[in-house]
Amino acid sequence: MECVVQGIIETQHVDALEILLEGLCGIPKEQVRIHELCLKSGPNLGVVPSEVHLLCDLVQPMPSWTVRHVGGAMRGAGADQMSVLVRTVVDSKVSHNVLRFFYCLGYKLDHEMLKAGFAFSFNRGAQITVSVTSVHKMPRLHATEDAIPITPNINMVEITAPATAENYNEVVIAISSFSEYLAPLLHLSKPGASAGIVPTASAAAASLMSNSAGKPV
Amino acid sequence: MHWQPKPGTTLSTQILAEACQCVETLGGQKDGRWRSVLTFYRPMQRDANVPVEHPRDFLGLSLQEQPAKYYFILRSNRMVVEADASIQVVMEKLQSYKARVILNFEGFQYKLGDFQVRVGKCVPSTSEALRGIMMEIEYIPLSSIEKSRQVLEEFFDIWQETISKKSLPGHFMHIDSNFGDYGLRDLYTSQHTAVQYATCMAQLIAAVRA
Repeated sequence: MECVVQGIIETQHVDALEILLEGLCGIPKEQVRIHELCLKSGPNLGVVPSEVHLLCDLVQPMPSWTVRHVGGAMRGAGADQMSVLVRTVVDSKVSHNVLRFFYCLGYKLDHEMLKAGFAFSFNRGAQITVSVTSVHKMPRLHATEDAIPITPNINMVEITAPATAENYNEVVIAISSFSEYLAPLLHLSKPGASAGIVPTASAAAASLMSNSAGKPV
Repeated sequence: MHWQPKPGTTLSTQILAEACQCVETLGGQKDGRWRSVLTFYRPMQRDANVPVEHPRDFLGLSLQEQPAKYYFILRSNRMVVEADASIQVVMEKLQSYKARVILNFEGFQYKLGDFQVRVGKCVPSTSEALRGIMMEIEYIPLSSIEKSRQVLEEFFDIWQETISKKSLPGHFMHIDSNFGDYGLRDLYTSQHTAVQYATCMAQLIAAVRA
């Protein structure tokens, strides 16, 4: 299970967001470069059509692969009222031949993308990860080196934290409280319900940049 | 290695008991239990009459020595995949392949000098019906298949000589797995073990049909 919120920010304010996150988390950022392939079950395979994500981490010298299944969001009146989406997610690290394996099982490539940017992982009431990435498309199949940003002026921000059926309420609170710190720069909401960019972003970013410039190195 | 019964004879747990006794005769010391679980995954089709491109089945394997891992073997495509054990949950959620038959390999593990010997029976998870008898021999000091080949062959000869004295209706048989076809190298890993299980399983099925 995981709790997640997403938002968008103009690329020109990403530096300011990075300064803010660095100050809030007190740890250095990690580089993110993930090649994500979405596969769908072929016709006639499975009781219902299914979808699986293969994530290839390109940051390490030896790329590592993970299979991810993203399940449905938690439903009900309680879930509707929450500002954070709670959903089932199962990850499994796998050997590098996993793409061929799923092709052999009858899965087909639906789309692929490259997410490049940075992330901060820290513990604040929950093990929170904030990622700021630009989503790229590939001009040719699997050509990650030639990937082009789909929306050069916009970056995606995602806050996630693992949760269990017992503790998701606390994790939701932890994510909501952390999101408030970022409110001057961006709105965070459940995936698929984007709140757009915030009008105060430019002023907040300018203030962060000037404060940071004045800091002794 | 699997037990190849003489034509017309049936498997019995007596053979297993005799094999265990032979390991002890050779100086083997019991070193705990042995348990692996092999699962046959079959596709779930929306329409059984429509021809499909995917394999009729593939194997999933969990090994005692790698509790956090899980292995898939596609013999038709000569492929072995290593994954975290959570991949079983992913497969369940996808609902495209179902675990149809689950076979347990259960028995004992022995320490015999530099060798680790495992002897056990293969039984379905839903019954006690004996489907086969298996043995696993590992030469602990070496991880190179080529370098350990001779020592394992010599051990195998001694083993055959010892068990033949029991005049049992059949014999243990080792079929070489072609690891190169699976893209595996000389350095032995659990992926090699997974391929050997698949080879052995094919032999057990053929022995039952014969």
